[in-house]
Amino acid sequence: MNKQISTILKSVSKPGRYSGGEYGQIIKDKSKVKARFAFCFPDTYEIGMSNLGVRILYGVLNKEEDVWCERVYDPWIDMQEKMREHGLPLCACESGDPISEFDMIGFTLQYEMSYTNVLNMLELAGLPLYAKDRDDSMPIIIGGGPCAYNAEPVADFFDLFNIGEGEEMLPELCRLYIKMKDEGRYTKQAYLHEAARTIEGIYVPSFYDVTYNDDGTINAYTPIYDDIPKQVKKRIMTDMDKAYFPDKVVMPYIETVHDRVMLEVYRGCIRGCRFCQAGMIYRPVREKTPEVLNEQAKCLYQATGYDEISLTSLSISDYTQLEELTDMLLEWTNDNMVSLSLPSLRVDSFTKELMDKIATVRSSSLTFAPEAGTQRLRDVINKNVKEDDLLRAVNVAFEAGKNTVKLYFMSGLPTETYEDLKGIADLASHVIDAYYQCPTRNKGKKPQVTISVSCFIPKPFTPFQWEAQDTMEMLAEKQEYLGSQITDRKIRYTHHDARVSRIEAVLARGDRRLAPALALACKEGFAFDAWDECFDYDKWLSVLERCGIDPAFYANRAFGLDEVLPWDIIDCGVSKEFFLRERAKAYGERTTPNCREQCSGCGANKMGGERTCCPKAKN
Amino acid sequence: MLPESQKLIEKKRLKSLPELERPLTVRLKFRKIGSLQYISHLDLQRTFNRVIVRACLPVWYTKGFNPHAKLVFSTPLSVGAQSVCEYLDIRIDREMSCEEIKERLNGELTNELFITDAYIPKNDFSEIAWASYDMEIYTDGADDEMAKNAQALLTSSPLMLVKRTKSGEKEVDIIPMISSVSVSFDDERQTLKIKCVLSASSTEYLNPEMLITALKQNLGVMSGDPALEWYTIMRTDLMKKDMSEFK
Ligand code: SF4
Repeated sequence: MNKQISTILKSVSKPGRYSGGEYGQIIKDKSKVKARFAFCFPDTYEIGMSNLGVRILYGVLNKEEDVWCERVYDPWIDMQEKMREHGLPLCACESGDPISEFDMIGFTLQYEMSYTNVLNMLELAGLPLYAKDRDDSMPIIIGGGPCAYNAEPVADFFDLFNIGEGEEMLPELCRLYIKMKDEGRYTKQAYLHEAARTIEGIYVPSFYDVTYNDDGTINAYTPIYDDIPKQVKKRIMTDMDKAYFPDKVVMPYIETVHDRVMLEVYRGCIRGCRFCQAGMIYRPVREKTPEVLNEQAKCLYQATGYDEISLTSLSISDYTQLEELTDMLLEWTNDNMVSLSLPSLRVDSFTKELMDKIATVRSSSLTFAPEAGTQRLRDVINKNVKEDDLLRAVNVAFEAGKNTVKLYFMSGLPTETYEDLKGIADLASHVIDAYYQCPTRNKGKKPQVTISVSCFIPKPFTPFQWEAQDTMEMLAEKQEYLGSQITDRKIRYTHHDARVSRIEAVLARGDRRLAPALALACKEGFAFDAWDECFDYDKWLSVLERCGIDPAFYANRAFGLDEVLPWDIIDCGVSKEFFLRERAKAYGERTTPNCREQCSGCGANKMGGERTCCPKAKN
Repeated sequence: MLPESQKLIEKKRLKSLPELERPLTVRLKFRKIGSLQYISHLDLQRTFNRVIVRACLPVWYTKGFNPHAKLVFSTPLSVGAQSVCEYLDIRIDREMSCEEIKERLNGELTNELFITDAYIPKNDFSEIAWASYDMEIYTDGADDEMAKNAQALLTSSPLMLVKRTKSGEKEVDIIPMISSVSVSFDDERQTLKIKCVLSASSTEYLNPEMLITALKQNLGVMSGDPALEWYTIMRTDLMKKDMSEFK
C-alpha cells in the first residue's frame, strides 16, 4: 500500500476495510496473468467478506493459473468523500490497482437495493455507466447472483449476465476472453457474441431488442442474432459433491457479519412457499453427502480456526441426512470446542433431541417464521406450518428454560384481511399463554415475544409474481392496526419500513426503462440504499418522477397473466404454467405438498441433478 | 504449514505429548506492520484466537461453561502505528519448544504480522515503563529549520495538549512524559525524522500520535493535501523503568 493513502486511512472509520493484507488472500505475478478479474461486492467489506458465494467464485477463478481474481467492496461514505476529494479511483484489495485497468469486472447482485451501489462503484472506478459507452479497451462488466434473474432495471449498464450458478460459467468466460485475445480477434462485440452463442447461461442484454405496447407493458423481446438463445436457460451444478469447494479462505482481520465456517449442505428447497424467490430459482434440490460435508467442514475449520460451524441452506431440517451429518460433526467438534449452528430451522423440526445436541440452539434466542397469522393465509402462501407445531416448538424451548422467542411475519400478502393481521397478535399471545402453562418454565423470568413484520414484495419467478403490492397507505394502515391489536407489554412489535419495500418492489419487477432513473440516482449520489441511514424515499420519488416513471406501474399494479414479463427472457428451470397453477391454488386456499412428499411437476427436473428429489425427466 | 487434512490428526497427537505440571506461560514477540497498522487491538485479539487454533498448539483452555484460551497482550498500539516489538503471552499445558511454537504460528501468519521470538518471560508486563519510536513525516515545508523548531517545541515545558483519559478530556503538559527526543531533517527523503522515548506504563501512557498533533498545532506540519503528505510511526522497543531491556 502506498504511503499517500495511509494519511487518508488514518482519518476514516474502520480503515481495516481498505488496508488488505489478509491471511489467505491470493497474490499472483501480474506479468504471468492474462486476465485480471475484479470481483465486486456492492456493499461494505463486512457484508461482502461474509458471502459464501463470493468465497467460492474467488477460489474457482484463481484456480485458473493465468487468471487473477481480486476482491473489491464499496467504500463507506466517509472513504468515498476522501476518494473524490483527492481523485483516488476504486482499487482492488489484493494489488491496490485501479479496477478500471482490469480485463473483467464482476458484480454479484444479491439484493435489489444494492443496485445503486453497483453504479456508485462504476463511477468511483471512473468507468462510463452505460455499457454502450464503454469501448474495447475497457473491462467487460458482468453481473450474477439471484437478482440477475431479473436484472432488466440495470441491464443497460452491464455487458453480460450469468444466469444461475457461476462455478463453471465464470472460468469459461475467462478462457474465451484469453483465447480471443491470444488469437488477436478480440473486440468487445465479437466476444459478447461468441459468449452468448457458445456458453450456456450467458445473457447479453444488448443483443435483445425490447418493444413496448401503448399501455406501457412489454410487447416483445427480439434477439438481434439468430444464433443466440431465444430464452436464456440457467446453469446449475448437477453434482454438489463434485462442485468446487473453497478449502482456503481469505481471513478478515476486522469483524464481519458471519465470522464462522459456512457449510453449504444442499442447494434448492423442497418447500415451495409461494412468495419465496430463492425457493424457486435454486431448484432442483441437490444434496451433498454427509461424508463429503464432514470432510469439507474439517478442512474449513483447519483453514480458518473459527469456533462455529453454521449449516447453511434454505431450510436445514429438510436435509435428508441431518442426523448422520450432525453425528459425524459432533464427533470432533465438541473436542475442539467448536459449536454447530442451524440457522434455518423449521418449527415442525424443532425437537428436544436436536436442542440437546446443538449447543447454539440451546444458547441463542429462538427464531421462527410462521409468515402469516392464520391457517387460512398460511395455506394461501403454502407455508405448511400449523399453530400446534409452533406451540409445540416454543414449549420445548420454554421447558429448557428459555423465555424469549422471535417470530417473523409478512404483511400485505395476497388475500390478506384484517382477520389475518389480528391472527398475528393472537398467535403471539398464545405463545405467551404457552409459557405460563409450561410447568417447568423458568419461573423467575417473564416471557418476551418479538414479532417482526416485513412487507410482502412480489418477486419474479414466484407464483405471486403477478400480484400487486399494497399501496403505502394500505401498508401503513395495516401496520397501525396490528400495533393496536397488541396490548400485552410482553409482546414487542417491530415492522419494516414500507417505503423501502416499495422501492424494492419497483426494482424487483422493473424493466429496462428504469435505467435512466438509476443513472440519475447515481449522479445524485445515491449509495447504500439497503442501509436505513442512507435510504431516502423522497429522493427516490423525485428521481423516478423526473424520469417520467410511475412507481405504481411496477409495484402496485397487478400484472396481466398473459402479459410479457421483463424476466420472460430467462428460463429459471421452473415453468410459467407451474407458477400459474400455484397461483390458482393460492386463491383457492389450497396447499401443495413439498417435493419430497410428491412432485408437483414444476419442470425443474429437466435441469438434472444428483441426490435430488425430482423424478427423472423424460427426454 | 501443515497440510490441511493433517491438522485434526495433529491435534490428536498433541494429546500424547507429556503434560506439564501447571500451565506454562510463553511470551511471543511479534511485529505488526504495513496494512496491519489499521487493525484495532480488539480485532488483533480475535485474529490471534483463530491463529492459535490453526497452528495446533497445546494451548491451555480455561475451564467452565465457555472455555477459551487465555491471551494477554502488552500495551496496545493505537490504530495507524506500526511496531516491531509487540508482546503476547499464551499458556500451554503440554511440552512444546518455544522454537516450534514460533514456527507453527508463523505458518499461519503473514509477513506483516509475524512472530520474531518466543521465550519464557522474565518480566511482568507491569514493568514496562518506556517505549521508543521512530517517526517519519513527509510534509510541506520540511527543512532543517523546521526540524530545529520541532526539537525546541518537543523539549520545552510546558507543552499543553488535550489528552483523552478514562475520566474525560483534560489538558496536560506532555513534556514530562518524553524521556528523550531528537528531530532531524533527511535531505535525501525530504522528511522529518524523529527518534523518541515516551512513557508507556499502564498509568502514564503517551500516545506517539500526540507528538504529531503538537507539531500540527504549533508548526503547521501536515496541514497540506492529505493525499500527498504522510507520516509513519514505528514502535521499536519497550523498556523497563531503568531503561533496561524488557524480556
Ligand atoms: S420437478 Fe417436482 S420434485 Fe422436482 S423441484 Fe419440481 S416439483 Fe419439486
